[in-house]
This record gives sequence, structure tokens and C-alpha cells, in this order.
Amino acid sequence: MSTKPSIASSAFSRRGFLGFAAAAASAPLLAACGGGSASQGGGGAGGTIKFWDMPWATPAYNDAAKKLAEGFSGSGSKASYQIIQWNNFYQTFSSAIASKTGPAVSTGGGFQAFQFEQQGQIAYADKVIDKLKENGQFDDFLPGVLDPFKSDKGYVAVPWQLDMRVFWYRKSLFEKAGVGLPTDWPSLLEAGKALKKVGAFGFTTGAGAGNNYGNHSMIMMMVNNGGGVWNKDGELDLMNDRNVEAMEFVLELVSNGIVDPAAVSYTTDNMSAQWKDGKAGFGLFQVNVPQRVGDTSGDLLVADPITGPHGDKATIVFPNNIMMYTNTPSQEASEAFLVYYLGQLKELWRQKLMSALPVFKSITELPEFANDPNNVKIVKDWQPIAKTFAAQGKTLNANLAALDGGQALNQFSQTILTGKADAKTALQTFQSGLESVLKK
Amino acid sequence: MALTTAQSGLSRARRGVAPGGPGGPANRKSKLSAQTSRTFFWLLLPSVILLVLIHGYPLIHAGVQATHDGSLIQTGNFVGGENFATVLSSPAFWKAAQFTLMFTIVGVFGSWLVGLGLALLLRTKIPAGGTFKVLLLLPWVVPIVVSSTAWNWLVATPDSLIPSLFRNLGLGTPLFLADPNLAAITVMVFKVWVSFPFMMMMISAALASVDTTVYEAASMDGATRWQQFSQITLPLIARSTYISWILMTIFCVNDFPTIYLLTGGGPVSATTSLVVLAYRTVFQDFATGPGVAIAFLMTMTLVVISVLLYRQIRKSSVE
Repeated sequence: MSTKPSIASSAFSRRGFLGFAAAAASAPLLAACGGGSASQGGGGAGGTIKFWDMPWATPAYNDAAKKLAEGFSGSGSKASYQIIQWNNFYQTFSSAIASKTGPAVSTGGGFQAFQFEQQGQIAYADKVIDKLKENGQFDDFLPGVLDPFKSDKGYVAVPWQLDMRVFWYRKSLFEKAGVGLPTDWPSLLEAGKALKKVGAFGFTTGAGAGNNYGNHSMIMMMVNNGGGVWNKDGELDLMNDRNVEAMEFVLELVSNGIVDPAAVSYTTDNMSAQWKDGKAGFGLFQVNVPQRVGDTSGDLLVADPITGPHGDKATIVFPNNIMMYTNTPSQEASEAFLVYYLGQLKELWRQKLMSALPVFKSITELPEFANDPNNVKIVKDWQPIAKTFAAQGKTLNANLAALDGGQALNQFSQTILTGKADAKTALQTFQSGLESVLKK
Repeated sequence: MALTTAQSGLSRARRGVAPGGPGGPANRKSKLSAQTSRTFFWLLLPSVILLVLIHGYPLIHAGVQATHDGSLIQTGNFVGGENFATVLSSPAFWKAAQFTLMFTIVGVFGSWLVGLGLALLLRTKIPAGGTFKVLLLLPWVVPIVVSSTAWNWLVATPDSLIPSLFRNLGLGTPLFLADPNLAAITVMVFKVWVSFPFMMMMISAALASVDTTVYEAASMDGATRWQQFSQITLPLIARSTYISWILMTIFCVNDFPTIYLLTGGGPVSATTSLVVLAYRTVFQDFATGPGVAIAFLMTMTLVVISVLLYRQIRKSSVE
């Protein structure tokens, strides 16, 4: 017995179907090449400076930053404020810039200014620096924070905060484990073994969806051993002995169960939960961890920097910056806005809204900042040894964007955290992956 | 029969054939056709313009990007098929293609089987059937961001609910998202869970149109339950099945959030599908040309699959 529908489908024609199928099938194409979500008009028509900012902290941060930006009035201009979400932010900026609807001034990804400079979209900030020299703010910069932004053609952007990676520890877990704080790699290994016995992890990290801390941990350990992704000339140098040694050490931590075996899949929320729930004894994290994870009991503290086997001490830092674009109603107004905004930044730290270090000494001296011993320790002990992703190199560049959060680094971190390959093989794969995406 | 006659009438009307057959007055027919053509043209024009703008332009622009070496802002130099060659010679592409194939097969047939089973169950009288139906629709209705977060809570850490259950049952502590094989399985199961309500609805709608007297007649003829299912139910819902397979194939191949939100494509690219690879290539590696080339290859593959399945639909439409 065979019973099939007998009504021929006149409504379901071949042409109609193909049109439907083509439209549905073309979704990945449209998604891949489609424009971003930016919809506002030009680079600030009517003399309004469009300032785009990222959600750097809680929504309260954005409210405060909006208030600061909209308080600008100079060079016959005003400023508007718009939040751009981190998801697809590069697409949002790119498509807006391409359609001349982008901002005049913005914060953004750590290496975004260099990416857009390469494409002729960035207005250099040399005149802003001159004005900062005039008003005294130039001398207020912490040492070394401005230098990475100076290219052959001028200052690509101006730093406004430092997103630093430092080691944190939970004091009570170390007491429970009866072990001292790590000062070097061997003592880090020993502390990790002791913490494991009390059910905690001695190298807390995560490399799951949207979590870059695993990536940062790997680069930090390389840099901490005097290595890094690039050499002093900015050339790729992943296979150096210091990197191999650093990754062999991390693999030793993994094989000893000092790294959570599930860490490879942890989101930042999973990782924060580890810290809050007392599973994390020691590990790399950002500034203001107690506030972030919701434990301000004083049990979470910043550790001392550890020394590598060759006597090196270093961590990594992302000097986040504010950049100006060539598409502006008035370059003079863009510059005036940037000088104004830099002068207002202290309010954000005064209101304790930031999860990052300031770039100005005067802000580090604010009571609201300086009363937190963790902040003081980071500025005193970690900031002087912090290096950018350029590591041995002195200036930032667009290639660093392909490293930061790119597929090659993420796969490398996950490979190491799963302990599935030896250090040299993993580094070799990392090097090949990075080479394939770097601009020649 | 009445339906066939009505459809025939509709069909003739669409062809511009006057009632009474092709032998109607020729001058009236041509006058009507000319008017109809003009009306059709003006009615269709806005849609055509919109389609060209929202589909045509991005497609052409994507074609340009796939054959150039620039960025999202600057097109760069023409490189011909170099981006396609780069992509096709990349092991990452083939690994992602392999995962996409597995993900799609499991997603389509897994959700179809679960959907079919539940659709058949819902035909029977069960207590609180309405509430049950609503609950079954939840995975499809809940935003994917919410459900992926919920699944993360359930499986991500050794202390999450499901690994804890396994541990308490003495089955070890599986790391569902950290082990490459388990992560791939978890993502596929998640996809089936998210998708089965859609299949269930499609099949339920098809089953609703089946005349129950057919089953009564089959019972009287001595057909077993299995014979009724395989010889009546499946053939009667064949067209709906093929259509749902086409749609689900497209949904699976193009599915970005299910994978990206749960695993980000990891660990070690174990769950990286082609659409995730395309996204990461364009927006994380900033390699626009190769990324768009991946999207082009996906589109072409989907069109071929869709056409093949469409032929099946046409076959199933023939007596």
C-alpha cells in the first residue's frame, strides 16, 4: 500500500522554491559581508562630535561617561555619546567608517587605532599631545604609557586606562594549605600542589567562549620568562627558548592538576565563579577582582610578581586608548574634545567605576583609588614591569590585533590547557597560524 | 475532486486563461494581459528594488571582497581565486566542514526523530496535553542566549548539575565542554534540543491534515501499527518532512549562536563549524577575503543540497 499526497503543488513552484532557498542559503554570505549596526549619520554633522565608547565596566560607568562627554562645549561644538557593544565591535566600526557614519572620536579595541591607521582613517593626535604639554597633563602620565602609541607619522591614539593582568590569591586557601605565596616558578608549582590538596587550583584561568584570560596567561608566562611573541624588531619569534621553557612549565602545571581540567572551556563567568566559590587559590586576573566577583571581604589580594628561572619579572598590560578619526566635522573640535575628556577622567575613578588602572599619576593619588591596598600594590609593583603584547618591541602595531583574540592564539592556549601537545609542537602550530594571518 | 477543479481554475486564472478555455475571445485576452502586465510590473517594482538592495548589493559586494585582499573598509587588490585556494588548502576549513556535516546530520535527523516521536505522542490523548505542548515548545521559544547560558550552568564545570549526577552515579566526572569529543556531542545534543519543537510543529501540522479514516480502513485490512506508520503516516508527511529537512539543513549549516555561545568553537576547534570559522576569519583574524570565500562556499553547498532535496519533494508530489 502506497499512499502519497496526490495534490500537485501548484503553489510550490520550482522558481519560488529556488528564490526562497537562495535567500535562505545566502544568509552566511550576507552575515559575512553585511554592514554593522551603526546607523547614525556622518562624523558628527552640525558640528557635533560623535564619541563612541565601549561598555568598559558596569552600566553606571556608561552613564557617568555619557554625562562627561555631553558636558563638552568647545571650539563651537558639542559632543554626543553612544555605547558600542563588544560583540562584533570591529564590524560595527568598520562598516560605519566605510559608510562615513562612524565616530569622530572613540575608545575601542586595544589595537584598533593601528588597524584603522593602516587604512588611512585615523587622525594623528600630535596636536593633542602638544595641548597636554601646555596644560600640564603630559607630565602627569605614568612612565611609559604614551610611548607605545608613537608611530613614524605621529601619535596614533592617546592612552586613557591600563587593563593590566596581575596575580591574585585567596589568603584563606593559602593558610588552609599551609603554604607560602609563590615568589618564583618552583614555589608556584609547590603552592599549586598544596592548594590541590585542599581542593583549590593554583593557576586559575579559562579559555572558553569569549574568555581571553587563558590567552593572556600564556603570553604572560612567556613574557615573565623574558620571551614573548615578537622580538625587538617586531618580528615573529615564538620558537625562542624562553617561550618553550615557559610553556613546558605551564604543561607541568596542567599535568599536576594545578590547572582546572575544565578551564579550557570556562567563560569569564565560570572563572569568576571559581574565585567567588573558593576554588581559585592563585591566578591571573584583572584589576578590581573583589568587586568583579562579589567578594570584598578582604580575602582576595594581589600577589607579588613572580620571578622567572632567569631572573625576569614581567606581566602584560593593554593600554586602552582614545582615537580620533579623519571623518570629523572639525578636527580642531575633535582635539578639543579629547583634551577635555582626558581632563575629566578622574571622575570615573573618583566614583569607583573603573576596573582598570588610570594612566595619570594624579588619579592614582585620589583617595578613592589609593585607599585600596590592592590598587596601590598594582601601581607600585606591577605597573613598572608591565609590557604590552609587543613584549620585546617598544611600539604597538596593527599585527597585534590579529594576535589578540585571534584563532591562532586561542587554539594555542586551549592546546596547552588540555595538555594535548608538547610545548614545541604547540608553539610551532601557533607560529604557523599567526604567520598565515599577519599582514606581509 | 472539487478541490482539484478549484485549483485548476486558479491555475488557469494565473496563466491568464479566461473561463471557458483557451478558445476565449482573443482580443479580450490580450487586453487583459497588457493591463495585467503593467499592473504586475508596478506592483512588483518596489519589491524588486528592495530585493536588489538588501540581497543583490551585499552579494555582489561579498563577491568583490572574496576576490580581493583588502579589509572591510578597503577592498584592496584583485587576487582572483587566491582566497578560495587559500581556504580550500587549509586543514582548518576541512576540519570545520567535517564538523558542520556531522552537526547538520545529527541536527536534522536528531530533531526530526524527536519531533516525529513527540508529534505522534501528541496525537494521542494524554493528561495535561496543552501544558505539555507549551512546555515542549519552550526550547524553540527561549532566546538562544538564555538557553546556552542555562546549558553552560548545567554542564560547564565539574561541580555543575549534570557532571555531579554522573559522579554520584559512579560514572566519573565528564568534562562536557572541555573534552573535544564530548564538547562536539554536547553541542549537537543542544542543537537537537533547541530544534525539535520546530520539527514537532511541522510534523504535527502535516499529521493534522491526514484523514483518520485511512487508518480505520487499514486496520480493517489487517495492517499492523508499524505497517500503518511506515505505509501511511510516513508517505503522507513526506512533503512536510522534506521541507523541514531543507529548512533544518539551512538552519544547522548557518547556525552561529548555538555553537559560539556554548563553546566558542573550541576546545581546540573541535566544535568550529564553517560559519564560526568564517566569522573568526573575518572578525578575529581580520582576513576578510578568505572569510567571505568560506561564506561563498557554504552558500553554494547549501543551494546544491536544497535543490537535491527539492527534487525529492517534487517526486513525493507525484502520484
